[in-house]
Amino acid sequence: MPAELIRRGLLDHRRALLGWCLGVIGYTALLASIFPSFKGSADLQKLVQRYPDALKALLGLSSGSFATGPGFLDAELFSLMLPLLVLVLAIGSGARAYAGEEEAGRLELLLSYPLRRRGAVLAKGSALAGEVVVFCAVGFGSLAVLSAIFGLDLDFGRLAAAMGSLAVLGLFFGWLALALGAAFPSKVLALGISAGFAAAAYLVGGLHSLAGWLDPLRFLSPFWLVGQSPLEDGVNGWGILVVLAASAAIIGAGAALSERRDLETP
Amino acid sequence: MAAAVETQGLAKTYPGGVRALAGLDLRIERGEVFGYLGPNGAGKSTTIRLLLDLIHPTAGRASVLGIDSRLAEARRAVGYLPGDLRLGDRMTAREQLDSLARLRGGVDPRLREELCDRFKVVLDRPIRHLSKGNRQKVGIVQAFMHRPELVVLDEPSSGLDPLLQAELRTLLRETAGDGRTVFLSSHSLDEVQHIADRVGIIRAGRLVDLDSVDRLRERALRHVTIVFAEPVEPERFVRLDGVRLDHADGSVLRLSAPEPAMDAVVKEAAAHRVVDLVSQPADLEEIFLELYEEPDAS
Repeated sequence: MPAELIRRGLLDHRRALLGWCLGVIGYTALLASIFPSFKGSADLQKLVQRYPDALKALLGLSSGSFATGPGFLDAELFSLMLPLLVLVLAIGSGARAYAGEEEAGRLELLLSYPLRRRGAVLAKGSALAGEVVVFCAVGFGSLAVLSAIFGLDLDFGRLAAAMGSLAVLGLFFGWLALALGAAFPSKVLALGISAGFAAAAYLVGGLHSLAGWLDPLRFLSPFWLVGQSPLEDGVNGWGILVVLAASAAIIGAGAALSERRDLETP
Repeated sequence: MAAAVETQGLAKTYPGGVRALAGLDLRIERGEVFGYLGPNGAGKSTTIRLLLDLIHPTAGRASVLGIDSRLAEARRAVGYLPGDLRLGDRMTAREQLDSLARLRGGVDPRLREELCDRFKVVLDRPIRHLSKGNRQKVGIVQAFMHRPELVVLDEPSSGLDPLLQAELRTLLRETAGDGRTVFLSSHSLDEVQHIADRVGIIRAGRLVDLDSVDRLRERALRHVTIVFAEPVEPERFVRLDGVRLDHADGSVLRLSAPEPAMDAVVKEAAAHRVVDLVSQPADLEEIFLELYEEPDAS
């Protein structure tokens, strides 16, 4: 696996990544700064209890309370916004890394060098993993500092596990987009299938307990597998392992399939 | 030593049934400058992309420097300049060349610097701000900076001014002089005829001619105009081997004849009283166009 391609992959996306990191710092800061007005509010708790079950399930409010730091962040951050941010970052980067570069005609010269295509795919996958990890580490750092400032009472072990599970989600969908682009010469297809699967998996993860027929499908949802209220309930260790194994299988398949097809010219 | 390039029955049919290359048999020796000529869409780039394993053949096989072209190892000592070169737009030329050198596993910095000087590469501006010619120079440097045993160039002169085109020709001659090999693809005979030892002409996916440039020149027809003192029978000339009658008007004959037939033409003419004889120099472009325009060989 050529180290230069990992390096290049990270450097090429450094500006975008910086933007994402500033975004997550800003968003978490905004959210944490309004937490003190929710803290310990019994009225709010009653209001939330009257929400329809479907809404509570989707917002991650089923088990916890809006009035504690972990409950508030699970509902406001980890139920939708953070996974959404990580996934948009990872899927976009994954689709750009191979299919996007191919459509721009830049793989032609690169692959005329003495490297194997599967090596190139794995190197780009490693760079993507680096991006996701940096983003999640920044999110962790930001929330750890904000917790002290605004009294969110976060357990750092749980917070680390929560950001870790988020990174695993990003890895899964980012590698899916990368692998699809490596196997088929279309950035749109890589983006579309990955984003579509993510949306479906998110809904299944949120609503399976309400719609009986969805229940058996929950095992196919990475969101459900890693655990959906990570700060209150903790993450699901074996689920994370399953998603990691699936991610590895997907990127491996993408790398192998990239060898079989023709490189397209723009 | 193994040939620089060897293909056997190399064929490519794209999905959808477009036959881009139909059974190419080609052997290019070390130290040769090989010109690969054909109109746009004839299969030149398809051949090159097969040799570099960017696309996979539907039949046949190819070896590059003695190694199966399907292996990454075959590209270790190859330099390639794509016909449609795309570089990292945000990088400067220096960063791009640094990156490519690392991807090669290191190159001799002196050779790289010498090439950059020679082709006056603009090193410190983002590539997206460079003109096509200035990008092409970056492409040339990366193709030569690791002293490749085989250089594959697809329409290399595009965007280069005449001075740099001449510099590139010199570089290609030097490369062949070192015993290294140049595979030069072009749609223009002019780009190739002064540097290539041999040319292959490809049309609609088939190699229609393969010859040395000298032999091609020999085969190219001269246009001979002979003015006699009195009318002559054109048949006396037409029966000579390879001679074609273009125009006969009493005492004026216009013939087309290849170089080997010239002796016979002059001796036949000498049997009559000759007023004037004009022979126009061989025109390679003409034989080339003739091969281009022939109906499909199949």
